[in-house]
Amino acid sequence: MMLGPLLFNAPLALLGLVALPVIWFILRATPPAPQDVSLPSLRLLDDVTPQEETPARTPWWILLLRLLAAAAAIIGLAQPVYAPGASPGEESSGPVLLVIDNGWTSAPRWGEIRAAASSALDGEPRDTAAHLLLTAPRALNIDPADRLSKSDLPARISSLDPVSWGVDRADALERLDASGINPGRILWISDGLDPDTAAPFARALAARAPLSVYAAPPQGATAITGLSSTADGVSVRLSRAETGEEVQPYVSALTLDGSALATAEAVFPADSRTASASFDIPAAALARISRFRVTGAEGAGRVWLWDSAARTRRVGLVSGDAIAQPLLSDVHYVRKALDPFATIIDGELSDLITADPDAIILTDIGQLPPEQEQALATWVEEGGALIRFAGPRMATQADSLVPTPLRHASRAIGGALTWEDPQSIGSFPEESPFAGLKPPEDVKVRQQMLARPDPQLTSRTWARLRDGSPLVTADARGQGMLILFHVTAGPDWSDLPYSGLYVEMLRRAIAAGRGETTADAEGTYAPDVVLNGYGRLVSPDATASPVKAAEFADLTPSESQPPGLYRGPAGTRAVNAAAGYTPARMTNWPPGTRLLGDAEARSLHFGGPLLGLAGLLIAIDLLVALALAGRLPRPGRAARAGLPVLAGIMLLQTPPTAEAQQDYGLRPDPYSYQVSPGGGAEINVDGDIDKATEAALEMRLAYIPTGNDSVDRATLAGLRGISLILYRRTSVEPAEPHAVDLETDALDVYPVLFLGLGEDTPAFSATAVERLNAYLRNGGALFIDTRNGGNAASRNNFEDLERVLSGLDTPALQPVPDDHVITRSFYLLDGFPGRYQNRQLWIESSGVGDSSERRGDGVSRLIIGDADYLAAWAIDEHGRPLYTVDGGDEQREMARRFGVNIIMYVLTGNYKEDQVHLPALLERLGEGEGEPARRPDLDNLLDTSPEGGPR
Amino acid sequence: MMNAATLRAEAETLARALPAMNMKARASNAAHLGAAGRKRAGTGEQFWQYRQFAQEDAAQRVDWRRSARGDELFVRETELETARTILFWCDPHEGFDWSGTPTRIHKADAARILMLASGQLMASAGERIGVLGSGRTPGFGRAASEKMAEDLLVRQESHFPPPPRTQPIFLIASDFYDPVELWRERLAPLAARSSEGILLVVTDPVEEDFPWRGRVKFSRPGEALFRLFGRAETIRETYREKFTSHFAALEQLASGMGWQIVRHTTGRPLQETAAGLKVALERFGARL
Repeated sequence: MMLGPLLFNAPLALLGLVALPVIWFILRATPPAPQDVSLPSLRLLDDVTPQEETPARTPWWILLLRLLAAAAAIIGLAQPVYAPGASPGEESSGPVLLVIDNGWTSAPRWGEIRAAASSALDGEPRDTAAHLLLTAPRALNIDPADRLSKSDLPARISSLDPVSWGVDRADALERLDASGINPGRILWISDGLDPDTAAPFARALAARAPLSVYAAPPQGATAITGLSSTADGVSVRLSRAETGEEVQPYVSALTLDGSALATAEAVFPADSRTASASFDIPAAALARISRFRVTGAEGAGRVWLWDSAARTRRVGLVSGDAIAQPLLSDVHYVRKALDPFATIIDGELSDLITADPDAIILTDIGQLPPEQEQALATWVEEGGALIRFAGPRMATQADSLVPTPLRHASRAIGGALTWEDPQSIGSFPEESPFAGLKPPEDVKVRQQMLARPDPQLTSRTWARLRDGSPLVTADARGQGMLILFHVTAGPDWSDLPYSGLYVEMLRRAIAAGRGETTADAEGTYAPDVVLNGYGRLVSPDATASPVKAAEFADLTPSESQPPGLYRGPAGTRAVNAAAGYTPARMTNWPPGTRLLGDAEARSLHFGGPLLGLAGLLIAIDLLVALALAGRLPRPGRAARAGLPVLAGIMLLQTPPTAEAQQDYGLRPDPYSYQVSPGGGAEINVDGDIDKATEAALEMRLAYIPTGNDSVDRATLAGLRGISLILYRRTSVEPAEPHAVDLETDALDVYPVLFLGLGEDTPAFSATAVERLNAYLRNGGALFIDTRNGGNAASRNNFEDLERVLSGLDTPALQPVPDDHVITRSFYLLDGFPGRYQNRQLWIESSGVGDSSERRGDGVSRLIIGDADYLAAWAIDEHGRPLYTVDGGDEQREMARRFGVNIIMYVLTGNYKEDQVHLPALLERLGEGEGEPARRPDLDNLLDTSPEGGPR
Repeated sequence: MMNAATLRAEAETLARALPAMNMKARASNAAHLGAAGRKRAGTGEQFWQYRQFAQEDAAQRVDWRRSARGDELFVRETELETARTILFWCDPHEGFDWSGTPTRIHKADAARILMLASGQLMASAGERIGVLGSGRTPGFGRAASEKMAEDLLVRQESHFPPPPRTQPIFLIASDFYDPVELWRERLAPLAARSSEGILLVVTDPVEEDFPWRGRVKFSRPGEALFRLFGRAETIRETYREKFTSHFAALEQLASGMGWQIVRHTTGRPLQETAAGLKVALERFGARL
């Protein structure tokens, strides 16, 4: 039985609705269950008879509740189904209007659509005419008013092809209105997608005449909707219209001539509309890919054209600097600037030329060897972009691979001997690829290479300073380009590397090779090859028109701008049919539509929910009745009863995190403090973590095991001891020390490594020493305790060290001077006692002396002593010292203070040398000696010895 | 029902908040010769002390036997023995050990706390306290108040206990919902024994208010019978009237016997009623 859009599977059950008034009457007559109350003073009413025994009525809302429950149950039992499109259309006469979606979404099932359209007039009288309305707009549309006879129609239909752009149903409706035809029946052969436009269109059609819909939605992956290039390849996004089962389409990456370079599988999970296929293709091969397509399927949406703008470029990087301090070198800035949009290759110049990148960047290389220069010149002529940065080396000598002759000197602007101020960037000439960039005011250039005046200098200049001197010059060589930045790539000569402009300039510069310069909003792009509706590349026909570069961003494909590759000044740009498209099935057909093919109407079965609603209402009624009769537990008591249960559950769930920190081995006991190292920083890490992560999460000391058990035990105990001291006295709170294997473990996560040597320590392997050298070069610190200070004869004997760590990159060493920062990095010390007294401590000679003479930051990365410091610090698990010390407890305390100073020195570097602390130090010194006026010259104070000081 | 320890603790808290009981505000020394001395000179049978004859003493007070041993005259003094006995009784009916809302104190518990508090005050003032029908002799001091707490909690048989042979002060706690005639019958033997008594009426606010509406089935605790009212709100006026007149009649009964009525509503602070009870008890002492 139909009732509007509702269909009842068991309509007889609706007769039960007749019973509702009866239920209402009975419910009204029945009094509610009485409230049960005990009352001792009832005795007072013993002799009273109530005047009125009419019971209280059931409240109206309970009545309503029960009636609703009954009604819901009865209607639910009738099993209603909401099926708006389920009714059959009635017979009619008149011409048949044939509406066909011929956009790219129809292409996959075009054969079916064609067959359905051809048979549109089957079964109609002989003289019935057909009218044709295509929903994809063209410049010259088929007029729907044209009559097609039963014999004309198949021929007309078979000449139709899908187009490569989308449908515009609103436009089709306007065309239908304009034609003024009055169809007796409408057959819409649809792609069954895009409910946003399809639903109003279907309603409008259904309002004109009985509507039949034949839907042929694309199956499987509908479209490639996007592409993203990653560091090591590229991945395409696919989407589909319907969810349900798992689909695994294949996507091929094709070159321009159509040969497949790679194939990847995309997996649509059962309930997902999107999937992605990742291609792991080497960068060089990536450049040859021109399009992706879903294998074995037709349609313009299943092809993704890849233009040159979206491609990452490969850039080779060669630096004149040594890479001793990678973070300070020029190359670092270039690398950071290019990382997001270029693949960077390092290596020797000759290898780079062989690898044939899009651009090669040379920072401050003045003179190339002749054979390399020759090879590089050839490479540039073949289309490479050579980008060079100036620098001190280039200022002294330059080779031929520069765009313009240079003066053999650099010009310092704004130094002590000049009266000019540092210059900011003036302008970018119109013809340079930098045109359109906005130079920031605050970027100043302090030093630059100067070009020799030359007639062509003006035309070769890409960027100028305020005073007109060139900042960037470029010259074409063959197909390639030579580009010279007249400043360094790092911030030594200018602020340029600090600004976003630098990134933008580099990006445009590397695109200069191969004749493809990136000019974002310039020029027009003419269609080169276009896609037809089936997804094949064809040459554009006359209707396809050029596109302005600025319009690419919000271009909707249409007949005049069909999907395809457009060629313009900056290479090719692609217009893709399905970019950003989200397919969705149309299910919301208007009532009365006859559905054919794969069209499916959304139908809702109301039986279950209605019965559920009835059950819910009855349950509510039960609760209400119980509450009225006072039989429900009071909420307060219930909450009180529930609270302990809740608390119990929470107790169970509280994870025992506290124990995780307890295995340090230093339990609080009467002899030690109540805290153990590592107890301060709680880091919640679930599960086991590897050693490097552990070390990275919490600062800790580390030692290099020697293989001798007793030595290693002493070293570990010493580190634990100094860790505890640090934890108690300073804000350095190290965790349990690690033993590191030089050959396998990550060393960079430790601030300092300790090495306690035994007598028979075996030599470390070459790999170990090599890794240790790298660790020290990159900012690590190594503390070596040769432990033979007990032997008075063995003064400064590092022979053992030579044997054990042969190959260690040891700089020149010298004893720590009295005024070194180690003597005051935390405590003020006048010696470095360990287990033995009066031993020398050696540090790198570069870490000594006036700060201006030192190399780098002047912090010694190597500290070598022989006083067996580790033994002096060593404690057992109760926090008691393990070894005797020459000078007793006082010396042990001094040794510990020295340990704290060492760690502070390692962690803070030369920070404590800062004059900021002068007043405080001076005050302390003055207090100790009682005559602060004795030091007249504050500036010299830290250079002269503090001469001990208060201890 | 509270246990003895809680009861005692509550009562002690309450008693501490009140000033010490003084039953003898203007009582004559001669009244009520009893067994226990007052630890001071006064009328009694036990020897207390000899003291030197003073001019105002009558000649016959001289203890010649003592005086003959020396030159001075001595007067023999006996220990003051004035003690009141107060007997308590708490209604054991189930309807009395009841409260209208679960969070509120039960009527019987309120009554017991009040009685025990005044019992403790009196016991420390030297009076003798006991529970009517417990079978123990009334005593004084801390032990007596502990015994009393136990006795109050012992569920007694439901019939009203017979009067003692002494002439005590009675303190009868109940909700007095039984008909007044029934109470007159019960109290008549006590009233015949002593004209000093207090009726402690404890009611629940719910019983005073009668807040029910609609269809309500009322039952009396301890009795199987129930009454069903179709519309409880219609009976409310009648109930309130009955309630008022019942207690008016009860008051009449009490004043006829020379007794006093102290009323307490559970949910109101116990101190108020305890103070009222103390005033009522002290009035007995004063009337002598």
